[in-house]
Amino acid sequence: MKRKRFEPSIVAFTCNWCSYGGADLAGISRIQHPPNAKVIRLMCSGRVDPLMVLEAFKGGADGVMITGCHIGDCHYATGNYRTQVRFDALQMAMKTMGLHQDRLKLLWASASEGQQWAEGITEMTDTIRHLGPSPLKAGGEAK
Amino acid sequence: MSDTDIRIGVFVCNCGLNIAGTVDCESVAKYAATLPDVAHSVDLLFACSDDGQENIKQAIREHNLNRVVVASCTPRTHEPVFRACVEEAGLNRYLYDQVNLREHVSWVHMDDHDLATMKAQELVAMAIERVKYLEPLERKAVDVIQSAAVIGGGVAGISAALDLANAGFETHLIESRPTIGGQMALLDKVFPQNDCAICILGPIMSKVGQHPKINLMTYSELDDVEGYVGNFRLKVRKKSPFIDWDKCNGCGDCEKVCPVSVTSEYEFGIDTRRAVYRPFPQAVPNRYTIEKRGTSPCRIACPAHVNVQAFVTLLKEERFSEALEIYRKNSPFAGTLGRVCTNPCQAECERGKYDEAVSIKNLHRFLADYEREHGELEIEATEPDKKKKKKKVAIVGAGPAGLACAYDLVRAGYPVTVFEARKEAGGLLRWGIPEYRLPRDILQEEIDIVQKLGVDLQTDTKVESIKELKDQGFKAVFVATGAPASRMMKVQGETAKGVHHALDFLDRVNSGKKVTIGLNIAVIGGGNAAIDAARTARRLGARKVTIVYRRSREEMPAIASEVDEAEREGVKIDFLATPVKILVSDKAVSGMKCVRMRLGAPDDSGRRRPVPIPDSEFKMKVDTVIIAIGQEVTPDALLSGLEPSMWGTLEVDPVTLQTNLKGVFGGGDVVSGGATAIEAVATGKEAAKSIDRYLMKEDLVEGREEILVPIEDIEVDETSIQMRYAPVMKTLSMNKRKTTFGEVELGFDKDIAVTEAGRCLSCAVCCECEKCVEACKLEAVDHSLQDEIVELNVGTIIVATGFKVHDPLETREFGYGTFENVITNAQLERLTNAAGPTQGKPKRPSDHTIPKRVAFVQCVGSRDRRFDTDYCCYIGCENSLKQAIQIKEKYPETEVTIYAMDIRTHGLGYEGLYRRAREMGVIVVKGRPSEIEEDPETKSLIVMAEDLYTGERLETTTDLVVLATALLPNDDTAELARKLKVSTGEYGYLMEAHPKLRPVDSFQDGVFLAGAVLGPMDIPKAVAYGKGAAAGAQALMAPGVFYVEPIYAEIDTDLCFDCDLCSDVCPYGAITGTGEERRVMFELCQGCGTCAAACPKNAIDMRHYRKQQIIPQVIAAASVKGALVP
Repeated sequence: MKRKRFEPSIVAFTCNWCSYGGADLAGISRIQHPPNAKVIRLMCSGRVDPLMVLEAFKGGADGVMITGCHIGDCHYATGNYRTQVRFDALQMAMKTMGLHQDRLKLLWASASEGQQWAEGITEMTDTIRHLGPSPLKAGGEAK
Repeated sequence: MSDTDIRIGVFVCNCGLNIAGTVDCESVAKYAATLPDVAHSVDLLFACSDDGQENIKQAIREHNLNRVVVASCTPRTHEPVFRACVEEAGLNRYLYDQVNLREHVSWVHMDDHDLATMKAQELVAMAIERVKYLEPLERKAVDVIQSAAVIGGGVAGISAALDLANAGFETHLIESRPTIGGQMALLDKVFPQNDCAICILGPIMSKVGQHPKINLMTYSELDDVEGYVGNFRLKVRKKSPFIDWDKCNGCGDCEKVCPVSVTSEYEFGIDTRRAVYRPFPQAVPNRYTIEKRGTSPCRIACPAHVNVQAFVTLLKEERFSEALEIYRKNSPFAGTLGRVCTNPCQAECERGKYDEAVSIKNLHRFLADYEREHGELEIEATEPDKKKKKKKVAIVGAGPAGLACAYDLVRAGYPVTVFEARKEAGGLLRWGIPEYRLPRDILQEEIDIVQKLGVDLQTDTKVESIKELKDQGFKAVFVATGAPASRMMKVQGETAKGVHHALDFLDRVNSGKKVTIGLNIAVIGGGNAAIDAARTARRLGARKVTIVYRRSREEMPAIASEVDEAEREGVKIDFLATPVKILVSDKAVSGMKCVRMRLGAPDDSGRRRPVPIPDSEFKMKVDTVIIAIGQEVTPDALLSGLEPSMWGTLEVDPVTLQTNLKGVFGGGDVVSGGATAIEAVATGKEAAKSIDRYLMKEDLVEGREEILVPIEDIEVDETSIQMRYAPVMKTLSMNKRKTTFGEVELGFDKDIAVTEAGRCLSCAVCCECEKCVEACKLEAVDHSLQDEIVELNVGTIIVATGFKVHDPLETREFGYGTFENVITNAQLERLTNAAGPTQGKPKRPSDHTIPKRVAFVQCVGSRDRRFDTDYCCYIGCENSLKQAIQIKEKYPETEVTIYAMDIRTHGLGYEGLYRRAREMGVIVVKGRPSEIEEDPETKSLIVMAEDLYTGERLETTTDLVVLATALLPNDDTAELARKLKVSTGEYGYLMEAHPKLRPVDSFQDGVFLAGAVLGPMDIPKAVAYGKGAAAGAQALMAPGVFYVEPIYAEIDTDLCFDCDLCSDVCPYGAITGTGEERRVMFELCQGCGTCAAACPKNAIDMRHYRKQQIIPQVIAAASVKGALVP
C-alpha cells in the first residue's frame, strides 16, 4: 500500500519509570497521537549512549527523541543530569552531521503526564513532517 | 548457543478487541512469520489467560523455541506474568521480550488502522531484533531485614504498624508531629455512624505506644534513605522537643507559665496554644514539646543580644517584673537605653514587614518606668563566689561599657572595682546626652543597681597606668575610658570666639557650667550629637538654630525621631551644604562660607558620598558655630603601657578584646573611637566573658561564640495580623521645651505598652524566657537539647503521610479570611469537639453566639479546574451531612442549608446519613453560591445562589457559613517521593504501581503506600490501605529473601583505561578499584546504565540492556517498515 504523505520514522528512547509510564498513561487515557514514534524502553535515560542516537540516524530515522524523568525526579537520582549533558553535546554535533537540530528532541515526562507525552509526540511528528525526510536516509521516502 | 540456533516464537495478543479493534493482529503475526529466525508466529485472543499461556508453553515445547516475544500490553504490568510462563516451559525468563501494542498502539492510534497495524509490525520486528541477542540470566537473591519502617502516624500508618508488629516484625513508626493520631485525632465525630473519633482511635493509639515490637518515633522526620529492597538504611531526624521525654510526665506545669501564644495548627487556626504544648490531651506519647524556630531577628540584631522577644512577650502577658528581670539579665540599663538606644533591633523586626516594627525600645523603657512607680524588684548584693573571691577585677571608666562589664562580673561572683576620673559615673550617658532625653535620676538609679550588687565604684579617681592597678593586686583590667574629645573640622576660623565643639559644649551644659551662646546658631553635622547640640541651644535661648549637613535626610545617622522633634522645636536643617570657612570679625564669629554638595557614588559606609558643586558658595550669617562631626580618643585615655592603633584608639583583639598586655582588655569608645551606647554595653559584656575565661584559666577563644541560629523560614499566621501601627508617644508641650530641660518623651502607660507588645508576632515561637525551666519539678526542660539523627535498617517501608486541607485563604473564596463568620469544616469540627476551644458549642467567631442559621458550601477548591484540583474530595458531602446532623441534634430549631453541585453518598451507610439529614429538616440546594456578602452590622452573611432544579434565584441570610474544603497533597509529599524514589501523580499525591491491581505498591520494590498520601479517602479506606500495605510488606519480608532483577553493570578491565568517568557518574558509588581491580559492586548497582553510556572505551556494559542488544533494536526502529497484507 502506498501513501502519498510523508510518514516520518521517529525513534523514541524512554526510561522505564517516567516517560514509558507517561506513554502508557496516554494509552490508558486514549489520548490519540500520531503513530510515528517507536519506543525503545531502557531503564534510565542515562543509558542512552550518544552512539545509539547516531545509529538511529544512520539507520534512517528522521527524528530521535530522548525522554525521561523530569530533572530532580530521576528514579536513579542523577541519571538524567547525564542525559541532559549528552543531549546538549549531541545537539552541537547535529549540524556537523548535516542534520537540523530539531530532529533531536529532549522530552521530560513523568508517569502521570500522558497528555504531555502525547503532545510531545504530536509536536515532534509535525516538526519532522515539516523538515522532510532525513538527508542521511538513502533514497529519502522511497519505501 | 550459536546464532543459527535461534528459534523465536511470536505471540500477538488480540486482548479481546482492545488491540484487535484497531490493529490487524493476524496481519502482524503473519508479517512476523516472514522475518528471519522466527520459527513460530500466531495471534491469540487473550495471551495472558490460562488458555493463552498454555498455548505459549506448548509452542515453546513443540517448536523448540528458545526466544519468545509477546506483543500485548504494557510490560509494566504483564512482563512478570509472561516471564513466569516461559520459565514454566523450561526457558530462562530473560530470553523474553514484550511489545506494547495496547497502550502504545491500539489505544492511541484508533483513527488509522493501517498505520496502527504497520506500527505494530515494526514494534514486533524491533523486539525480534532485540530478543536474538538476549542471554539467560539468574535473578539475584537479597536477604530481607525482618523489620519495617512506617512513615506517618495517622490512622493508616497506625493500622499498618500494628499489623506488622502483631505479625512479629520489628516496626519503626515515624511521625513528624509530637503525637500520633493524624487528622482523625482532631475530628469530633466520624460518619456515618457518628461515633466519637478519639474514643475509637485513642485505644489503638495507646496500643501503638505500648507495643513491644513498635519503636515509636514522634517529632521525627525522614532525612535520607539509602539502600534497596530488603535493606534500606534510613536516617531519621529526631527533632529536639527541648524537654527530656524520659523525665516528662505530661503534667503541664510548663504550659501554665509559658508566656508565648501562637496560632494552633491543631485547632485549624481558631485558637492559640503556648510555645510549650501537648497537641491534645490524648496525645501519644503524652509528652510536652517546645517549639523553637531559632533566635528572633531582634535579639540577633541587638549588639548585646538582649532577649527582646522574651521581655516583650512577658510584658504582653502583663508579667512586668518578670519581663524586667529578663532585660536585667543582660544589663541594668532598661530605662537608660529605653531612652537613648538607637534600637537596631527594630530595624530587623519581623512585624516591620507588615506594618511597623514593634517599639521595642519604648517597651523596655516602660518596664523600667513601671518598676520605678511600683518597685517590685529588690536588688540584693551578690555573694562573691568562693573560687573567685581573690580574683579582683579593675575597670577603668564608668561609662556604659565599664558598668556593663562590672554588672556581669559582679553577678558572676568576682570582686569588682570601677575607677572613674570624673565626679560622677555614667560617662557620655551623663556628659554627652542632654537631660531632656535622659533625666539624671533615671541614669543614677540604674548605676546604683550596679553598686547595690556589690561593685566598688570609686569616682574622682584617675588611673594613670596599668602597673599601679597590678600593684594594687588586681588580676584583670578592663579599660573603657571613652572618646570624649570632639573631632576638629580643620577649617579657617575654627578657633574663633563663638565656635564650640559639640561634646565639650554638651558636657559644659550637662555639668551645670555657664555657657554663653549667641542668638543665631549653626550646628555642623548630622549625628545625634548635632541634634542634641541644636536642641540644647534652643533651650538655652537661641532664636535661630540651623543644622548644616553635607548629605541628605536619608543619610543622617541621627535617630529619625530625634530629628523630627528637633524640627518641631524650630530647628532648621540645611541639607547638602558644608562650611569651607568660618568668617571672623573682631576675633568672633560673624558668619560661615558654605558650599553646596551633591551626592555621588556610595562610599565604604554604603552612604552616597557628598561631592562639592563648583561655584556654589554662599554665606550664612551666624554668631555661634557648634561643630559636631565626630568624636576622638584623647591621648590620656590610653593608660601607660597600652598600645594605640594608627587612629589613636586602643588596639584590641577583635574577638577577645585583649590588649597588647595579657589580662588587660579594652572596650567601648576608646576602642571604637565613638559608637552607640548599646554597642558600648555589648563590648563591656564581651570583655566580662573574656575576663571570666582569663581568670578561670580557660581558653579565651574556644567555644566562646554564642551561636544564635536565625529563623530560617519565618512562618507567621498572617490571618491573625491586624494591621496596626506603633503608638505615638506623648511628648512635653512646646512651651515647656523652650525654657526647661524637662524630659520630652513621656513614656507609655500600661495599656498602651501591653497593646503594643501584643503586636509582637512571636516569630521565633519559644522566646527562651526559661520560665518553664523554673516551673518543671522533674527538671525535664533542657533548652540546649539538640536534634538527634537515628539510623534505621529496615527491609520494607510504608509511606502513610496523609494529606492537608485546602486553605481557602489563598483564594479568599467566599470571603474566607475577610468575613469572620465564614469558617471551614475543619474549624467547625473543632468547634463541635468537646475538647476544642468552645467546649463543643458551635459558637460563631464574631460574637460567640450559637448560630440560628447555618449554610454549608460544598466543593470549595474541589472539582475546580481553576486550581488544578478538579477531583472530588471524597469526604466533603458526608462530612457536611454529619455536621448538619450534629447541629440539628443539639439545636433542632437551627435552619441548616447545604449548597452543593451534587451530594455524593457512595457505598453502604452513607445514603442513610443523607436520608437522616433530610428527615431532620436539612435543606439541600443544588447549586454553588455565586457570592457571599457580609452584613457589616450583624456580621451575618447573605448567600446568593441559584437553585439549578428550579432556576430560582436565592438570596438567604445566614449566621454562619461553613466551607467544605478540598483535600490536597501534603507540602512535603514531593520531597518525600524524591527521597524514596517513588513517583507522584498528576495532582501531587504518590502514585501506585497499578491503579487497580497494585494499589498499595509503588514502583520502588519494598516501598508501599497507604492512606490519603495516595489521594483523598475516608477512614475505613485509609485503614484498609494501611492493612493492605502491611500485608504487602509482610509478604515481601516473610520469605527472608527477595529476588531482584539481574540488571547490573559489568566492566571489562582489559578495555578499561582508568579514566574513572564511570565512578564519577554512578549515583550509587557502586564502582570501586582501579586497573585490574576495577569492578561494579552489584549489590549497590541499581541498573540505570549511566556508566555504560559514559564509558569512552565501551568497557562497561549492562546486563539485559547491552549495547549489542539495544542497537539492533534501534536500527530496526529506524529502518523497518511494516507491510500490510491485502
